[in-house]
Amino acid sequence: MSMHHPDEMLLMEYSAGTLSEPMALCIRMHLEKCSHCRGQLDMLNSLGAIMMDHDAGKTRNELADDLFDNIMQQVEKTAPEPPETAAGAVQEPIDPLRKLLGKDLHSLPWKRQLGDVSVCDLTDYFGSEERVTLQKLCAGGRAPAHSHNGQEATLVLTGAFADGNGVFEKGDFVLLDEHHDHQPVALHGEDCITLSVMTAPVRLTGRFTRLLNPFIR
Amino acid sequence: MELRQSNPPTATKGRPVAPAEEKTRRSEKSKDHWSSLLERVGQSQDRDAFRDLFKHFGPQIKYYAISNGLAHQADELVQEVMISIWRRASLYDWRKAAASTWIFTIARNQRIDMLRKIQRGSAEMPLETEDLWQIPGDNEKDPVPSLHRIIAERRIRESFEHLPEEQVTVLAKVYLEHKSHQAVSEEMGIPLGTVKSRVRLALSKLKVILQDQDL
Repeated sequence: MSMHHPDEMLLMEYSAGTLSEPMALCIRMHLEKCSHCRGQLDMLNSLGAIMMDHDAGKTRNELADDLFDNIMQQVEKTAPEPPETAAGAVQEPIDPLRKLLGKDLHSLPWKRQLGDVSVCDLTDYFGSEERVTLQKLCAGGRAPAHSHNGQEATLVLTGAFADGNGVFEKGDFVLLDEHHDHQPVALHGEDCITLSVMTAPVRLTGRFTRLLNPFIR
Repeated sequence: MELRQSNPPTATKGRPVAPAEEKTRRSEKSKDHWSSLLERVGQSQDRDAFRDLFKHFGPQIKYYAISNGLAHQADELVQEVMISIWRRASLYDWRKAAASTWIFTIARNQRIDMLRKIQRGSAEMPLETEDLWQIPGDNEKDPVPSLHRIIAERRIRESFEHLPEEQVTVLAKVYLEHKSHQAVSEEMGIPLGTVKSRVRLALSKLKVILQDQDL
C-alpha cells in the first residue's frame, strides 16, 4: 500500500468525474496500488449515488413514453455480455499508461534534459491545458533544485525518490506547489520514473540553472 | 491490506461470532431491493425487474444529465446507461457495491464519455473513458468487507439527511454539475478554503473519510 495519497478533495473530484484526463490518469494509477484509496472511492461513489437521487424527485424529469420501448429494441439487437468473457476482462485490468504508450517505459524516446533528468512529453495525447510528462531520474541521480509556479501532481511509476518532504515509492502520489522547493534524489540504485501533470511550468531555483529557465518549456 | 472499521459492525454486537455461512445469510438479508432487481436482470434477463429499475433510476439519470448541462442529450444518456446496465448486469455483484452506486458509476462514465466526444469531435481518443475511470481491483473476491460496506453505505444515507444545506449545496455542485472545488468557489463567491472545509465537514460527518488510524 502506498504511503502518500491524493487528498479527499481530489478523490472526490475523481469520483464525481470532474478531473481532467491527465489528473484522472494519475489518480487511476495510484488506485492500482492503493487499496486504502479504493475503499475511500467506494464510499465517495456511494455518496455520488445519493447525490443523483437527492433532489431528482423535486424536479419533473419525466421520461418520454416510448423511451423504454426504444431501449428494449436496442437491447434485443445485442445479447448481454456472457459472464465468463466479461469476468476474464475484469481479471486483467489494463494498465492505461501502457495502453497509451503502446510500449515499455524504458523503450520510450527519452530526451535528456538537465543533468540526470530525462523527459518524455505526453501532452499531445491529451486535449488538456496541463503539461503532461514522464520524467526519469537516473539511478543515484539528483535533479536540479526547482520549485513550481502552479501545481504539479506526481505519481511514482518505478523506483523511488526522496526530497526534503519525504520518501516517495512506487504508487505514491504527491502534489507539489509554489511552496515546495525541492531537489529530488533517486533511491535504491534504480531509475525513478514519474508521471507528472503540471498546471504551470517548473521554475529552476539553483543559482546557475536559473539562467536556463527560458530554455525549459 | 483490507480496510477495517474500528468498531465491530452493529449487526454482530453482543452476539457470539457467527460462522461464515451465518454471516453470508445475514448479509444476504441486507441486500437492498434495487440490488435484487439488478441481480435478476443479470441472472435471467428479467424484463419486469429491468422496467422497475428504469422507472426508478431513469428519472435520476435524466436529472443528472440536465444538471450536468446535457439537457439536449438527457434521453440519450438515459438510454445509453440503461443499455449498459442490461449488458453488464451479469457482472454485477451485490457484495461489492449497492445497485445505486454501481449505476451511478455507469452514468458518470457515460456522461464523461459523452462530453469527451463533444469536446474532441472526431479527434482520436487514445484512452477510453473506462480506462481512466474504471477502478482497478474490482475483481477482488472478498465477501467479508461486504457487511462493512453495506453498513457504511447505510450510515452515509442516514447521516446525509442531517447535513446542513450549505454543505449539501457544495457537494451537489461537485457531483451534479461536475464543477471542481475551485470552480465552486468562483461561482459562489466564497474562498476555496471555505469550500474545502465544507466538503471536509460533510465527509467527516458522513464518515466517508476514514480515521487516520485506519491508514
